[in-house]
Amino acid sequence: MKRMIFWFGVAWCGIVVSTAYSQGTGPLESLKRFSAIQRIDLGKMLDGEILAERGELMKFHNGITAETCFVAPIPPEDAVKQLQIWDPSPHESLKVYAFQALHDPCEPGDFKRLSFRSNQHSVRWLLEKTQAGAPDKSDLNLSRTEARELAGCAGKNSDPDRIASCWTKLLVARAASFQRQELNGVPPYETTGETVQPMTQLRAMLDEELPAANEFQPILHRIGLFGGANDAATLEPYYYWSLFDADHHATINLGAVYQLRVDDHFQMVDVEYYVSGNYYTSVTLYEIWPIRVGGRSGSLIWRDDFLAAPMLKFTKGTERLAYGAIMLQEIKKEIRCFQDDMKAKQ
Amino acid sequence: MSRSFGLILVVAWLLTPRTAGAAGNSMAVSQELDAQYTYIAGAGTRGAGPGVGSVSEHSAGVKYVFSPQVTKDLLLRLGFEWQRFSFDVPGHAPIPDTLQQASAVIGLDYQFGDQWLVRAELEPGMYSDFEDSRFRDFNAPLVLGAAYLAEADLQWFFGVRVDLRSNYPIMPAPGVRWKFADEWTLNLVFPNPRLEYDVNDRFQVYLGANVESGTFVVGDHFGSDHGVTKLDHATMDYMAICVGPGCSWKALPSLTVEAGAGLMLQRRFDFFDENTTIRNHEAPYLQIACHARF
Repeated sequence: MKRMIFWFGVAWCGIVVSTAYSQGTGPLESLKRFSAIQRIDLGKMLDGEILAERGELMKFHNGITAETCFVAPIPPEDAVKQLQIWDPSPHESLKVYAFQALHDPCEPGDFKRLSFRSNQHSVRWLLEKTQAGAPDKSDLNLSRTEARELAGCAGKNSDPDRIASCWTKLLVARAASFQRQELNGVPPYETTGETVQPMTQLRAMLDEELPAANEFQPILHRIGLFGGANDAATLEPYYYWSLFDADHHATINLGAVYQLRVDDHFQMVDVEYYVSGNYYTSVTLYEIWPIRVGGRSGSLIWRDDFLAAPMLKFTKGTERLAYGAIMLQEIKKEIRCFQDDMKAKQ
Repeated sequence: MSRSFGLILVVAWLLTPRTAGAAGNSMAVSQELDAQYTYIAGAGTRGAGPGVGSVSEHSAGVKYVFSPQVTKDLLLRLGFEWQRFSFDVPGHAPIPDTLQQASAVIGLDYQFGDQWLVRAELEPGMYSDFEDSRFRDFNAPLVLGAAYLAEADLQWFFGVRVDLRSNYPIMPAPGVRWKFADEWTLNLVFPNPRLEYDVNDRFQVYLGANVESGTFVVGDHFGSDHGVTKLDHATMDYMAICVGPGCSWKALPSLTVEAGAGLMLQRRFDFFDENTTIRNHEAPYLQIACHARF
């Protein structure tokens, strides 16, 4: 009934919705089935509006989630490609210092843009934490083997290039392990006082968001993140790394983006299988549909961000509400930059 | 008063299993415990006649709030607050030995839209020198606040305290929290505006102010006992403003300990109905505090 009122309202306003994709099992109906975002005005979204909804409080203490929905003025095939390869580093407000694709198999040369030669406080923080790490204890997310090797390589050496080469060695090993064994090749974090397996954290969050997880079962199942057996061999991920500022601390991540065509639309999963610190891991689910409103067309993109961070366990009550609201603002900021770049490409 | 505390405990007890249990989620209940102690050394006195001498102060306070999440956007706030100001008063200076607040905390936090958080908090309780507690010692100031979460490093605050007993029944207090550099934060939020510097992830130093205030009723014989009969059962606005440096240590992820020292700039006992105001000169102060969130 609500849906009928919505469509009557749209017709009354004189806006002609002429897309074949929007009828019956079209994107809006599909989206409303699994999303908390229910009020959608495609006309406004084509003008740049970003819809956002903070997720429900999770039972999983380290987890938080937020949904967003927006339109990119490009066909879905282009949107899928751009979401994978988009380099956010030119946007100063996003504080991404470097973004780079990885070869498969990855090579040390893939990390040549990793540099600690910076006066930025956040980069100095990572440099100092790297130097301060002991073989069995570190504030960074490392396995015991990595902590031992990083301490042996970096030692008390403060040469930024030396630190960068030590990190390159570690990141190449992590990325190569993931490329060989996918999710089974992700070593745990063992130096912050408890053993944390990033993939376990991701699965715990997805288990609580069943409507979204079920919607994405075709792709999540194939990459082995949800719903049993791993059959990822047929999906070719896009591998990347980046260096960015997270809460005023420089952070290095390794990620993989999977895509799958499902009927008339696409699904994407962006997994951060390694994060150097501040938080444990994240996964972003994307669903992308073609839309046409009047004479305008584009891609309707729904996005669900899941973040696992140790401090969330201690972020409750009002602070949790504020954390969720600020997380949404940061995601919307990133989306606006993406939309601006896509407009500029037209 | 004890009945109101009893009611709070009963409501809290009823809400715990319902809210947390319904969701099966321990994250749906949060608790805040704030405690502080302040010592202000002897401060010279103006407005109380000749030869009053200096007045020193010990103050302590505890605030506990139990906050169950009722819906995705709504949190209740239930708890209590106790605060006591003790003054070493020489001779017959018309300054009460003690001022106390013992109140319940009843309120809510609500998120509007993507970027607004609002808080309404009523603190019904007794606000007096506790010499001869009566119903007129009862007061229920209301604190309304809103925060606009512009981005991770910038938030705006708009607050107002409504206290019909006070000489200033409506007291607005705008504020801002702006992390303008990686290590620096301008945290201008009443009643503890500060400029903060992060030494590391756990240790912070700051230069700030601390404003303590309240409206209290003194006893029926307070004025007579101090030779100023017009001050019997008078209403008084109390305020002390302290400024100085301090440090904050995150001992645990859920526990922060603070220590500060500096100068009390002004302390004022304003019997505004009787046009009698007693002020204290500057004096050094020490303060320790702890804040637990669990």
